[in-house]
Amino acid sequence: MITLTINDKEVSVEDGTLILEAAKQAGFHIPTFCYQPILSRLASCRICLVEIEGQRKLQPSCVTPVMPGMKVQTESQDVKEARIGVLEFFLSNHALDCPVCDKGGECELQNMVYKYGPKKGEFTEKKERFHEKDYILSPVIVKNSNRCVQCLRCVRVCDEAVGRTMLGPMGRGAHQEETSFLKSYMDCDQCGNCIEVCPVGCFMRLPYRYRARPWDLKSASTICPYCATGCRMDIQERGGEYIRAISKFGKGVNSELMCARGRFGFDFLNNEDRLTKPLRKKDDGTFEEITWAEALETIKTNFKLSSPERIGAIISARNTNEEFYLLQKLMRTVLKSNNIDSSPRWSSDAVSAYVTACGINEGGTSIADSIDVDTVLITGSHISDENPVTDYLLRRAFDTRRIGVIIASPRAMKLDSSAQMTLRNIPASDGTLLKAVVAELYTAKPEAFKGVTGLTKIKTLDSATLSKDCGVALDDIKATTGKLLKSDQISILAGTEYLRFPESLEGLVFLRDALRALKKDLKILPLLDRCNQRGAWDMGIHPAFTPGYEALEKEGLGCDRMVQAADDRQLDMLYVICENIAGLYPDAKYAVSALSKLKFLVVQDVFMSETAKLAHIVLPGAAFAEKDGSFTNQEGRAQKIDSLLPPPGEAKTALEVIAAIGRELDYGFGPSTADEVLAEIREATSMYREVEIDTARNDSALVKGKPAALRIADFLGKKRFDDVEAENKPSLPVPVVKVKPLSFKLVTGNHLFYSGTIARRSHTLRNLVSGPMVEVSVADAERLGLSDGDTVRVKGKYHEAILTLKSKKGSRDGIAFIPENFTEVGLNRFLKRGEGIQEVTIRKI
Amino acid sequence: MLTEETKTHIEGLLNKYKTRRSAVMPALMHAQKQNAGNLTEEDMREVADYIGLNPVVTNEIVGFYTMYNPLKDIGTYHIQVCANLSCSLRQAEFIIEYLEKKLDIKSGETTKNKRYTLTRVECLGSCGTAPMMQINDDYFEDLTVSKVDEILSNLD
Ligand code: SF4
Ligand code: SF4
Ligand code: SF4
Ligand code: FES
Ligand code: FES
Repeated sequence: MITLTINDKEVSVEDGTLILEAAKQAGFHIPTFCYQPILSRLASCRICLVEIEGQRKLQPSCVTPVMPGMKVQTESQDVKEARIGVLEFFLSNHALDCPVCDKGGECELQNMVYKYGPKKGEFTEKKERFHEKDYILSPVIVKNSNRCVQCLRCVRVCDEAVGRTMLGPMGRGAHQEETSFLKSYMDCDQCGNCIEVCPVGCFMRLPYRYRARPWDLKSASTICPYCATGCRMDIQERGGEYIRAISKFGKGVNSELMCARGRFGFDFLNNEDRLTKPLRKKDDGTFEEITWAEALETIKTNFKLSSPERIGAIISARNTNEEFYLLQKLMRTVLKSNNIDSSPRWSSDAVSAYVTACGINEGGTSIADSIDVDTVLITGSHISDENPVTDYLLRRAFDTRRIGVIIASPRAMKLDSSAQMTLRNIPASDGTLLKAVVAELYTAKPEAFKGVTGLTKIKTLDSATLSKDCGVALDDIKATTGKLLKSDQISILAGTEYLRFPESLEGLVFLRDALRALKKDLKILPLLDRCNQRGAWDMGIHPAFTPGYEALEKEGLGCDRMVQAADDRQLDMLYVICENIAGLYPDAKYAVSALSKLKFLVVQDVFMSETAKLAHIVLPGAAFAEKDGSFTNQEGRAQKIDSLLPPPGEAKTALEVIAAIGRELDYGFGPSTADEVLAEIREATSMYREVEIDTARNDSALVKGKPAALRIADFLGKKRFDDVEAENKPSLPVPVVKVKPLSFKLVTGNHLFYSGTIARRSHTLRNLVSGPMVEVSVADAERLGLSDGDTVRVKGKYHEAILTLKSKKGSRDGIAFIPENFTEVGLNRFLKRGEGIQEVTIRKI
Repeated sequence: MLTEETKTHIEGLLNKYKTRRSAVMPALMHAQKQNAGNLTEEDMREVADYIGLNPVVTNEIVGFYTMYNPLKDIGTYHIQVCANLSCSLRQAEFIIEYLEKKLDIKSGETTKNKRYTLTRVECLGSCGTAPMMQINDDYFEDLTVSKVDEILSNLD
């Protein structure tokens, strides 16, 4: 600790604290422009100058660390004059067009000049102007350089956090302009972080420009509805139209950072195709509008006609914890059915195994802790596209603390540049790769494994064979092992490939147990791609466990088995909330035909999805900004969301509808408000009992867990996997198919701008993607004689599509990636239940 | 397009420095030489690509240092006159004015016959012999009007 005085007040702060931060702790505000705690130090703007006794010149407090006995003045006459001087200097070339500037009313420069002066400018020279009109830099970014204060926050955020380096200071002195390469249109991540960090009105949102003043907006604090990083944002509306999403410094895991989906993808809320009225299918297959009363009556009658095991419910992982809880309560207590699940993309067995392997039932793991380690191993995820802000946080951890990053993924990604090692394994062989690493760990330190139970299988692993099977050179595996052995604190970030290919989980469990046997401090963080996937599982949206992962005696049917049961006419009734089974189940034809056999399908959704089209009753639903409740992100952080506007037309939240259906069937069913349900959740599971959901302080928002509430052996050792093998194995793809020349293995996942049914309806996001695409490695593109932008025919056994080719440097050869969410492509039409990874050919047309 | 020769030069530079990024300035210089003193958009992109940087970095560098002439049409002889402090105190402005009149162009321009380009630049590190100018790769120091005449008449 260091003791100093600031404005005659004595303060004690940590060693190495900056004067600026020390002053803040002591309650004194020092203005800043270029200082941004998450970015590198620059000290270029000089607005933060302070007086230090004994030093001849004023010092920038944003880079000067405290010293014992220092006497600092932050409001002395000299400081005030210097501040005014700096501001006058900024204004000397500033456009001063506040009346038309988007930033007016929330501009840092405007606020500072208002507060400190100067009252009048003394510069008489002609103002330097960079250009007359704003210029457009991308479909979402527009620039006016005449307002710049040269703080370089835009340049640094793009380079240091986003990792794109799209912007630079061009020219020098008063002529310096922060812009793109020759001011050209940018093919970048379109995250808009350059807009968010700009203190003035230089970088602006193109879709928002000139459309509102900050004081005209109403806002609500909510959580981004896309991936499970769980970025906090304020959603804002004007005149009933959602108009802007902003992130705020110091708020949420993301602070000011967001990705394109979060910042620009909210406009699906305004989409003219939103469902607004309950609909009933007529005999001719078209829909007619009905009243809620009629809809509920029909649902009640049909539910009553069926026996419990013939009813199922599937809810998407974008709903709130409260909705999940109430749905499973309705299903389990009123309808007496355990046929509940959340995603058609993977099986419920895969989920059980993944939950236990990652210790999701054991409580939350914060991202901050997960990256404050010696080595991070990222596996089974294309993190740069699937969880962009998690990618930013890792990049900063790498740049500032030099943590070791190892990435195992068939496809190259942006974060590779921060990695010490990148391993390009064959698709679906993530577990094999980890087993090879485990084999090497065992060879290196056999003594560590003595007497550790449950690790016998490790001894039989042969790294040479495994290395061949996963397509990663033995030397690279050895190098990875070496890095792990040298690290004391390790975290594993395990993505959704483990859910798509759950066989891989055995490798993950081996590695986890081996690292624990080696006495490593190990954390495992799941990387999930839907905002409330973890919440869905926590709330018991699963056929095998209830809220808090209490295992059920008799398990119900998961999504896959429900689809199969529908196909076998063993299921009569399905209640679907916002989930697009027909569009995502890995065999489109099968899913559509199975769902069509249902006696009664009721779908609540915000849009008419492929699944809703098959329904007998369609109910208009609400989206995130229209709901109160909570989401639990991939860390296990429960976060509050507030509603801003009511849903359009007669649409209702899923919570209201579930409660209404419940009351139809059982007069006493409840509770029915989000707060009441949350209270009941706290009662029901200790995981959520003490969770702090308040937006202002959710440091203590991580859910608690009971270690091994589900025993791993149940899922991985004997029962689960063998059972699955023996029974009709659900569509778990079989790994490693022999690749014929110029034939590609088809892999999937999320696109950076595009992840799921709601992104499709965002006009802004649609504008960012040129169209459905297929991505191969640069070498493969060359082998095929193709270049970026070529139109190609991708042909598989069951389906073919015309797509635009994109090539990626550094990806593994022999792999074709198609994002899973383009309606026009229907990736799931390429897949066949039970057949695993499909092969496709690519030809130019 | 970078010629094979330029690429060989860049390859040599990459071997010379510990980090690839360090090679960017001399690499840009080679690209500029290859095009008789002009640096095109394509060169900036290709040099960045070759070294593994985003083109915005080459843009930044050529925008900062006066020795690069991006997107300009440079004459056979590029006359760069220092207008920084020491040179200014020793009548650099006068030399520039004289050159403008003699060549009938403003600084920053190229003569119609594409023979000369005149540019004002920042300190060239030859303050002890101010005022000074650089023509292509050579320095000419302690300038006077008659010396300037003589130098120009002796070119090729
Ligand atoms: S939108 Fe993102 S990637 Fe593009 S320039 Fe701005 S910060 Fe960089
Ligand atoms: S454009 Fe904005 S963020 Fe970038 S340097 Fe200028 S004021 Fe700072
Ligand atoms: S990283 Fe995920 S949560 Fe954050 S803004 Fe992007 S999609 Fe939303
Ligand atoms: S904030 Fe300290 S110099 Fe800019
Ligand atoms: S001032 Fe002219 S060479 Fe330094």
